[in-house]
Amino acid sequence: MNKIKNFINHADLRKFRFWLQLFFFVFFIYGGYLAIDLGRELPIFACGYNHEIAGTCYFMPLQHQLARPWETLFSVASIGVLTSFFVFLLWFIVFNKAWCGYACPMGTLQDWITSLRKFFGITYSTYTQPQYESLKKIKYIFLIIVIVFPLLLGLGILDGEWRGAFCDMCPGRIITPMFVGDFSQWSIDFSTKTAIFLSSFGIVFTALFFVGSFIKKRFFCFFCPMSAMHYIFSDVALLRLKKDGDKCTKCGDCYNVCDMQIKDIADDVKSTNILRDDCILCLKCVAACPEDDALHLDLVNYPIFKSTKGGFAKRMEIDRWEKKDD
Amino acid sequence: MINKTRKHKLESPKQKHNRHKATEAIMILDKMKHDFKEPPKAMKYFYDLFERVHCKNEPLHSDKVKVGTMCIQVPSEIIYALDAVPLRLCNGFYTNDEIGSDFLPSKACPLVKATIGEFVSNNFSDKPDLIVSPTTCDQKAKSGAIIEDLGFSVYDMEFPRTKESHESREYWRRSVRKFTKDLSADLGKKITKKRLKKSVMQVGYAQHLYHKLNVLRKNIKSPILGIDMFLVTNAFFFDKIDKWIEAVDVLIKECEQRVEDEYDCAHKRSPRIVYTGSPPIFPNLKIPLLIEQADAIIVADETCSSNRMFNDMVSVDEWFVNDMIDGIADRYLKGCTCPIFTKNEDRKRRIIDLVKEYKADGVVYQAFAGCQVYEMEQRSVLEAMEKEGIPIIYLESDYSPSHLGQLTTRIEAFVESLKNRKRKAK
Repeated sequence: MNKIKNFINHADLRKFRFWLQLFFFVFFIYGGYLAIDLGRELPIFACGYNHEIAGTCYFMPLQHQLARPWETLFSVASIGVLTSFFVFLLWFIVFNKAWCGYACPMGTLQDWITSLRKFFGITYSTYTQPQYESLKKIKYIFLIIVIVFPLLLGLGILDGEWRGAFCDMCPGRIITPMFVGDFSQWSIDFSTKTAIFLSSFGIVFTALFFVGSFIKKRFFCFFCPMSAMHYIFSDVALLRLKKDGDKCTKCGDCYNVCDMQIKDIADDVKSTNILRDDCILCLKCVAACPEDDALHLDLVNYPIFKSTKGGFAKRMEIDRWEKKDD
Repeated sequence: MINKTRKHKLESPKQKHNRHKATEAIMILDKMKHDFKEPPKAMKYFYDLFERVHCKNEPLHSDKVKVGTMCIQVPSEIIYALDAVPLRLCNGFYTNDEIGSDFLPSKACPLVKATIGEFVSNNFSDKPDLIVSPTTCDQKAKSGAIIEDLGFSVYDMEFPRTKESHESREYWRRSVRKFTKDLSADLGKKITKKRLKKSVMQVGYAQHLYHKLNVLRKNIKSPILGIDMFLVTNAFFFDKIDKWIEAVDVLIKECEQRVEDEYDCAHKRSPRIVYTGSPPIFPNLKIPLLIEQADAIIVADETCSSNRMFNDMVSVDEWFVNDMIDGIADRYLKGCTCPIFTKNEDRKRRIIDLVKEYKADGVVYQAFAGCQVYEMEQRSVLEAMEKEGIPIIYLESDYSPSHLGQLTTRIEAFVESLKNRKRKAK
């Protein structure tokens, strides 16, 4: 048992993550060819506009369900809305935000763009703290568009052209189908003014997605309403990112590797649950922590991956030294 | 008749200075070697090293550019990457302390006085070509100018006095980037990705070895005395890094063997001590020596001449020069528990954690008379320890060989009370 634990704590997270991400990417994007269908309640941006998707982003059905007229929405007829919400919750609760860091095709794509940047030898950019503080609110605005706009539609305040407004704006709709050879989403819908606005927003956002994630690690996740949605329920999730503040020296190694620039991970020594709304649970912080047990990933209350001095040294390759002449 | 007058040779000031230094050095080394149970055989390298450098004035780095550093905040990774050697100049000699007194207020810190004294005497076994002075505590920051007046070239490296804010991180990162650029221009060497990565790995490996050795002291039967550990870490100030690595590697193997054999370098009832406060720097290992002579054993420390120098590591996400430099910068600021910072929560947490991790019975807090920041933090640390129920003693000392009697009495009494507590707990 100790051997297994030791093996996991010394694991090369980078490799593990790369292969798992690749697996999930292929699984979700091309799963349809193998007739895999995990339903329409997935907590990731696996977009239903890709007809071969192995399961669909929950926001697509959610927006449609909430756009029902209010009399229907709040009647027994809408029991399905509740059940799909519970299915979404079930998916989410098991893996928490690890969906973002490991399974989301859009997230994986950004990591690959990051690798491309690295290949060209270009350094990444970061936000300053004030920029960070203001930009991080944007995802909640998107979440309002996802949830409140359909409700207003049901009330008759908004027109039908606002149906699925967020999907129209989302880069996932444009990008995901490309991987199965469908480029038809690269277009602006000129039917109405709203449609022009929404679809061109989508195109611009997609362009930003590529440029942004080339410059900044996980650029899009920062604005992702799914990430905001996750955070609302993350406290009840089974997989938890924990911190033992007593063991933390605030050295900031975790912050340094954090794609999402979460400052609390290094500076907060009071919280035990250190998962923040921007977190993608990629676990790079745990891997980069040089203190024994300071950061750990728990399944309920059982730690399954812990920070260790030895693991840190191994991953940084400072546990050995060969004299080389240059 | 042949004139048979005896030739009388006058000792030059330099010779006198060397003789005084050698006396101080050899006295402490002798005590370390002979006053205790047998030290690990691998310690011989370190005893010899200090004798070579401080008694025989043997230069170690004649073939390299030497960059003197006034504090631990100067990133050694960058200096190594530019093919120079960092030499930590914090000095521990009483002789130098006396020489330096003329240049500083009477109530100044002996460490700063001694450091200046060494410059005044201009009697280095390895003379630094350039001195980097980070603006850490007031006395260190101001002594840069004094040293410059003595004819040395001094580079002031700006260091923030708060570390929580985003601004301070950015400020220090910028400071380190500037330092890298300036030093690289000064030495005419370009910093490359390959060289910087190599030096990050090498210093990282040295840190890794330190941790490997240090955790062995968690054993109830500790394989190595605290005073020997201080010597090992002090050697990192000036030794060739690869030689140091080799020697520590051997020492670790021997200590691991000792742990396996359940060899106890102290005694069954020796109280376990966490040492904190002003840094013990060779040959001023007076207080650690007194503690261990009083039958206690230092199992961990929180000082900048030892643990703090090695504790926090560099982590890098992408191995580009800029990212590495930022990572290096953070290592020297964010985890640092130096009392010069506005807040001292981190230091208190660290001491408490050390006490728990290393199963210590008490804490010795030592401050140099004149080391204002450590003196100022004393109260709050004492309070925090009291809250945790950890016994602590506060000692004030300087570099002078007097007052030993009083210090011995207090330390012995503290150790005795810890023993009593231990006995009662059983």
